[in-house]
Amino acid sequence: MSLKRINKELADLGRDPPSSCSAGPVGDDLYHWQASIMGPPDSPYAGGVFFLSIHFPTDYPFKPPKIAFTTKIYHPNINGNGNICLDILKDQWSPALTISKVLLSICSLLTDANPDDPLVPEIAHIYKQDRAKYEATAKEWTKKYAV
Amino acid sequence: MDGELYESSAEASPVLDVGCFMSEFNDKIYHPWTLKSFIKGKYLSKMPNLQNHLPQVSYDDLLIMLQYKKWQSEEVINSYFDNPDQLLKACGLPFKWQESNNTFDLINNFTCPICCEDYIEPTTVYSLACNHKYCLQCYNSYISNSILSGKLIKCIEPSCALTIPHRDIDRILKVEEPNQLLNSYAKSFINQSTDQFKWCPSTDCVSFTEMIKNYNADDIDEDYESNDISNIPIVSCIERHEFCFNCNFENHLPCPCFVVKLWIKKCQDDSETAHWMDANTHNCPRCETSIEKNGGCNHMTCQKCRHQFCWICLGDWNAHNAGFYTCNKFKDGDTNSKDYEDKKAKESRISLKRYLHFYKRFAIHESSMRGDLLTLKKVHEVTKVYMEDRKNQEKNLSWNDVQFLSDAIRALIIGRKALKWTYCFAFYLKNGNFTEIFESNQDFLSKTVEDLSEIFEKIISKKNRNKVETIMQEKNRIINLSDLIISRKRSLIEGAIVNVNEDLLRFNT
Repeated sequence: MSLKRINKELADLGRDPPSSCSAGPVGDDLYHWQASIMGPPDSPYAGGVFFLSIHFPTDYPFKPPKIAFTTKIYHPNINGNGNICLDILKDQWSPALTISKVLLSICSLLTDANPDDPLVPEIAHIYKQDRAKYEATAKEWTKKYAV
Repeated sequence: MDGELYESSAEASPVLDVGCFMSEFNDKIYHPWTLKSFIKGKYLSKMPNLQNHLPQVSYDDLLIMLQYKKWQSEEVINSYFDNPDQLLKACGLPFKWQESNNTFDLINNFTCPICCEDYIEPTTVYSLACNHKYCLQCYNSYISNSILSGKLIKCIEPSCALTIPHRDIDRILKVEEPNQLLNSYAKSFINQSTDQFKWCPSTDCVSFTEMIKNYNADDIDEDYESNDISNIPIVSCIERHEFCFNCNFENHLPCPCFVVKLWIKKCQDDSETAHWMDANTHNCPRCETSIEKNGGCNHMTCQKCRHQFCWICLGDWNAHNAGFYTCNKFKDGDTNSKDYEDKKAKESRISLKRYLHFYKRFAIHESSMRGDLLTLKKVHEVTKVYMEDRKNQEKNLSWNDVQFLSDAIRALIIGRKALKWTYCFAFYLKNGNFTEIFESNQDFLSKTVEDLSEIFEKIISKKNRNKVETIMQEKNRIINLSDLIISRKRSLIEGAIVNVNEDLLRFNT
């Protein structure tokens, strides 16, 4: 059942691709995708291209896909392993959501971080106390790892 | 929970014949539940009152409101009269509740947006008043995934706040048992209220027990080594399994909870050793044939050499009955060795040997209990077949005549369980005069249990051609032995309680 749905999402992405991101299977395995996100222009990540890995569980879409950044990124809700703290990837997941919608949510997370529910408390602290320093570090990391 | 709430649930409960258990530790009052009786008593019992007050609202919608307000029916009534629209919205119900439009439609040419399946043949789809349609298979998977939390379940569309009624959930899941969501709700509630509720720890038992009063978890601090075994909150579940409400372990009297904890840990630590195997097989003391015991009785007859011996101490069975039945006592003298090892090695060997002595007996009674259960199952089958056979004939034997068997089963299990824990108790006991009294009480109980177990073994023996006749012949003995087990078990435990409290028995931990 999940294969049909994944195929449909792949076809939809091809027909009507979102402007700032792309996604598709890595090899023959339809359950393992790679995605890329362009750093949003109004964020310190602008100019960078960030890669992510996507793993679909066999009971997709009733369980959320597992998504992680493979490009290093300086963000209060994304840790050193690339894990993302995003409600719709956990308890707020709905089978009506799609990869395309999830990637767009990740884009807006890059623009608007959520420092009150941080995955990396140190970055969240700097984000809240010294926004300029946070932006400088995020820009530096983008230049170093994502360009 | 308020008082009114409990009263209503007590009325709704079908189990009030457990009074005899409640008095065993009579200052603690508890209530055994099944999930079904709990849901009926604590949740569904509120519905009639609510329906009286709000007759204009449908049953399904009221149940959603009641769950939303955490089963406080007064809250539902007040909120409804206060601002019905606000309550309906919060509960995920459409404003025009009269036209609650939940439908199971059979339609052609449907493509489900979730699984992307193209249904050309007619298929059933479900939708709420929002008209978001999804196929039944997708709703089934969606609900199966969401139901575990016990929370109200919404329409699949994330932007839609409408709630799926309980009745529709059961219909979508296609299960026989109703109230699936309430089942999950109750389970998660019980799991979160461990001070008040405990699941029965027995294997395959799904009932639980509520502590009503005179019990305070802080009174018995698990780490505090309280010797006061009179205070152990032994409760019973609806299936009559006794367990300790404090450590959530089976009835471990006469041991205090902290001793049980030590013992379990010790057994786990040592279980990997080869010595553990000791408890499971023995060699016949005369011909050395390996023997595995598959029944409950510890009076063994070697199939090869016909030697009769005691499974526990491997001594001659005749010596057991005639004179000193000492197989329950640990003799230091057993460990006297003539070789010249240094003192420390000897001590550790003695301590291992001492542990094995008690562990072996603990484990034997545990496995004998399983053996007894198998035997008793066979006895039960024998009587069942017999009774059905007799229906046609005019013999005057009724079910009442074999009722004593179930009492005997219970007595045997209770006796074995108490015996089992006396070995844990004895392991941690310091030597003294009162230890001997305890051991002789233990010995009495042990003999009675073995006698009863032996009768049952005799009944189902393959050589026994007329099993029912044996049951009837032994009826009086079975009844007497059952009573004897119960009274000996009681005096053993009461004696232990008194002596521990008066510091005549001391633990060595």
